Amino acid sequence: MSEGYSSKPMQATKIGDRIVRVDAVQKARGEAVYVCDMTLPDMQYAYMVRSTIARGRIKAIHVPELPEGYYFISAKDIPAQGKNELWMIAKDWRCFAEDYVLYVGETIGLVVGPDRGVLKRLKAQIRIDYEEQTPAVTIDDGIHCVGGPMFPEKNSNVMCELFCEKGRPMDEVFAEADEVFEETIETPYQEHVHLETNSAIADMEDGKFVFYASAQCPFYIRKSIAGLLDIPYDDIIVRQCTTGGAFGGKEHFPDVLCGALLVAENKIRKPIKMVFDREEDTQFSVKRHPSKCIYKTAVKDGKITGVYGHIYYNCGAYLSSSYVVLQRGVFHGNGVYTFDNTYLKGEGIGTNMFPSCAFRGFGAPQTLFAIETHLDHLAHHLGVDPLEFKMQYLAKKGDETTTNGHIIEEVKLPEMLDVVTRESDYWRKAKEYKPGCGRGIGIALYNHGGAFTGNGEQAIIKAHARLVKTGDRVSIQVGSTEMGQGFKTSLRKICAATLGVSIDRIEYLDPDTSKVVDSGPTAASRSTMIVGRLVERAAQEMKERWSEGDFTTEVEYEHPDGYPWDQATFRGDAYLGYGWGVACVEVEVDKLTNEVKTLGAWSSHEIGKAIDELIVHGQINGGILQSLGYGSMEKLEVKGGRFKQKSMSDYVIPTSMDFPKQFYHIQENPYPWGPYGAKGMGELVFNGASAAYVDAVERALNTRFTSIPIPPEAIEEAMKHVH
Amino acid sequence: MEQVKCFIPETLEEALRIRRETGATVLAGGSDLMVANSMGAGVTPAFKGDVLIITNLKELKGIRALPDGSVEIGACTTSAEIARSPIAPELLKDAASRMGAIALRNSATIGGNIGNASPKGDMPQPLILMDAEVVLTSVDGERRMLVDDYIIATKKTALREDEIITKVIIPKPDFTHIFFRKIGMRRANAISKLTLSAAATVRDGVVVDFRASSGAAGPKVARSRKAEELLIGKKVSELHTCKEEFLDAWNTVISPHAMPEYRRNTTRRMLAFFIDALEAGHAPGRVDIQE
Amino acid sequence: MYTEIRFTLNGEQKLYQGDPLRRLLDVLREDYGLTGSKEGCGEGECGACSIIKNGELVTSCILPVGAVNGCELLTIEGIRDTEKGRCIIDSYAEGGAVQCGFCIPGMVMATYVLLSKNPDPTEEEIRVGISGNICRCTGYDLIVECIKLAAKKGAALWNR
Repeated sequence: MSEGYSSKPMQATKIGDRIVRVDAVQKARGEAVYVCDMTLPDMQYAYMVRSTIARGRIKAIHVPELPEGYYFISAKDIPAQGKNELWMIAKDWRCFAEDYVLYVGETIGLVVGPDRGVLKRLKAQIRIDYEEQTPAVTIDDGIHCVGGPMFPEKNSNVMCELFCEKGRPMDEVFAEADEVFEETIETPYQEHVHLETNSAIADMEDGKFVFYASAQCPFYIRKSIAGLLDIPYDDIIVRQCTTGGAFGGKEHFPDVLCGALLVAENKIRKPIKMVFDREEDTQFSVKRHPSKCIYKTAVKDGKITGVYGHIYYNCGAYLSSSYVVLQRGVFHGNGVYTFDNTYLKGEGIGTNMFPSCAFRGFGAPQTLFAIETHLDHLAHHLGVDPLEFKMQYLAKKGDETTTNGHIIEEVKLPEMLDVVTRESDYWRKAKEYKPGCGRGIGIALYNHGGAFTGNGEQAIIKAHARLVKTGDRVSIQVGSTEMGQGFKTSLRKICAATLGVSIDRIEYLDPDTSKVVDSGPTAASRSTMIVGRLVERAAQEMKERWSEGDFTTEVEYEHPDGYPWDQATFRGDAYLGYGWGVACVEVEVDKLTNEVKTLGAWSSHEIGKAIDELIVHGQINGGILQSLGYGSMEKLEVKGGRFKQKSMSDYVIPTSMDFPKQFYHIQENPYPWGPYGAKGMGELVFNGASAAYVDAVERALNTRFTSIPIPPEAIEEAMKHVH
Repeated sequence: MEQVKCFIPETLEEALRIRRETGATVLAGGSDLMVANSMGAGVTPAFKGDVLIITNLKELKGIRALPDGSVEIGACTTSAEIARSPIAPELLKDAASRMGAIALRNSATIGGNIGNASPKGDMPQPLILMDAEVVLTSVDGERRMLVDDYIIATKKTALREDEIITKVIIPKPDFTHIFFRKIGMRRANAISKLTLSAAATVRDGVVVDFRASSGAAGPKVARSRKAEELLIGKKVSELHTCKEEFLDAWNTVISPHAMPEYRRNTTRRMLAFFIDALEAGHAPGRVDIQE
Repeated sequence: MYTEIRFTLNGEQKLYQGDPLRRLLDVLREDYGLTGSKEGCGEGECGACSIIKNGELVTSCILPVGAVNGCELLTIEGIRDTEKGRCIIDSYAEGGAVQCGFCIPGMVMATYVLLSKNPDPTEEEIRVGISGNICRCTGYDLIVECIKLAAKKGAALWNR
């Protein structure tokens, strides 16, 4: 089966070529194999038995008599030498809850057997007696330790915290200010809604455990679950299958499926398949962290003299990636601006909610929404155009960041603003559309630090990449994954262009942990920037030695000198390069119904260099639409620790008719440490459109919002307070 | 578990006989029932009793004009067929064309939408406004009743154990002005949060007929002839004198539980807008804000 | 009970003798091995399981197989090697419509019906035509462009 074709077969591929994505034809023909499409001989199925309460003690589990060949797997099935823990960043997430449960949907066990109908009925018959306790659900519940502290040893629900400061102490700055403009801005849960739900298959092969998984990070799975049986990593093989979207939802969460399956597989030793139905995936999977950001901005003589931010994220019951998410949120807490004095504090609050985890943007979208919206409100308060107001503070090369590092690159925002304001006719519209006239135009600026924070790439990830030459063909062997973002095409293109051969001569298969080297997680917008650079280096070496016959090149990440970072104090250069963005949105509000019609969306993104413009174009469109959904319609409410929305009919995401065709612009600004000058971009494009949308609606109605989303009901409420 | 039986008759006569003998649940398009009874991927939906699949019964398909000008629609006619029909009434086409998205409209049927009696169902709302009737057929014969009487409450109807909805008959509408809005959670492919139809017949400056109906407004579609009578017989030039009374009356018709503030206020704004347009001498036809 | 359900699947006569209440999607994927149709939501909301029944687009996850007795069915497997199917698939690939790909077979089916009925659709008509097919990756713009491309490249086919 062919994996697609190039428009210029067997000619050397150049970075600037417009090529056909290597996986497009196979996927469009319905031939790509996702986990749900796989069937193995004698395959068994598994469903999770989950907690139905948010917090409490398990008094008893009543399992009905199981027919022959059916199993109930729980913590009791973890062997004595193993530990009931999944190792993500910490080891707090239990594979199976026992004795007590911490959130609705926590895994208690698996039912496993050959017939899915029988399993569903058995699952419904399992009865669990609880002694219920009062859950902490919201950030405020967590702050006030509702139901008792989750961490009694520190009498608190604070799971993780940090701060960073710059300039003078804020109390001095506040004392000198003419006024301190204070607001609390909140952002909600967001569900990934990758069209393919979470899924995995466990099997045995030559005495080793084999997993087929829909996942971003096959090596994470291996590391996370090996401790359950106390076996070496090499006894577990993870093979990524075609992955139908992830957006962060398949970064750590596949560990939760694979961990439980490993315990079952260890006992049953037959292929076991677990595919979540949409209802399960909606209610019982990780989400974007809800946030509450308190901003206090000191203003003197009409100018900002200091910004104080207190940032809370709702982490749910286990840490998962929350501490890192929170760090990124704090580091992006001043947006694209330089203020002389800042103090930003972040607290990750534990609650009895499904754990929050990675979602495109990884903590940055929350604070970027908050600072953009806060500055818009401050500008309106001061009676000036928000964009004019913000432009006074745009960060420039050499400026000190909130972590006392520096902006390393030229910041091209002024050029990007020129493009976006010209294409959208922003300045004319901003003046002509009077506040409250029913039409509005809004604009937001944003950035995204590429790759892992600080020296994480060097200290923690230590990524490798390997190329194997066989005849005139080259195989890329890395653990990075294709999940729809186009990385297979980008990476093969980088490799081919560097070697000076056709992309058809480069092979890059879905990773198998037993065959490829660990190039780090496919996350943090790091793949093109970091792994792409590694492959470029490995290919450069291979090119020099091309005539040597069949051989292998392997390289390891090297951190540029002169950019210090102290992970203990969070001081230094948090990121070696940022992507930068401008998004502009124009809306019209129906005065009868408060329905918002988006008339236009324009953007410009600085991503160093586009490895493949078509792929970048697709990422921009998709990221902006997700962000517009986040700001406008994606509503995930919580009641008693349960998500109220359960399906794709009540948790709605944008259709083709909700937003118009977008204008996009790519700003080049080659990045010295990326392949061909490329930086990360997958997350950047999510980070700003929601703020631009809210800005536009606020101007159309002359009102203010301090939370999203803003469906017509929220607009009705806000209209009671027209400015 | 006892296996449920499933019947796939080839004629209406056969269907009616099976219905009489078994009381099997009637499945028309399946778009509601298959979801309601779903057990997830790879598992047969768990219907509580026997099922009678009438999807492809030819006798129950098609739209035709009757000699008196009314329109008869077979119960298994899909929303898509109604939406593109040149003879279906405008308000019904509005509702049918905004139901779900294309694929759903090719499965969902008018009979199923009425029979399901969901307060959020799209088609009962304009049907009730138009005084449409359902034809209920059993082995013994037919009976007709207003859709408004047929739907008693959420999921509760006047259907007898041996009957099948076979037709819907809509009297010839002679409205001069109509208004339709559906508000969903997004612009397409959405379940209704709120729908409203309003219609009026204005002759020589006098409102000779006025009707409104609100969908997703309570246990069933809200319509109030008492409220409508406040406007009927009035000159369009004096509508402002009775508008508030009408709007207040309407407000008591829609359920406060199903219609929290936003939906209530929006309904009021839309009705007020329609009445104002009549008073302002709006040309006959569709009334909406885009003008 | 014993029921025989007959239908044409991608041009072949089929006799199905199992439970008529099973979801058509399960029957296609598991009995006939046609895994190109995907399950995204299981409630007719996302369009990933879209197939063509008697020339019309339907979501196979909410259709009991008993409801397709006597019908003609087309799945992605039945159109991908036809001229029209190739035209759409090649246009999708060429113009960058495909990202994760999970929604794409269903999207191709929606495109097939759209262009078969309306060979030269406007942007708005295209957006309506795929409004029941949810995509979380692309933002739809490139899918819309690719449908325009397919209409142009295959003008002779669609107008036939």
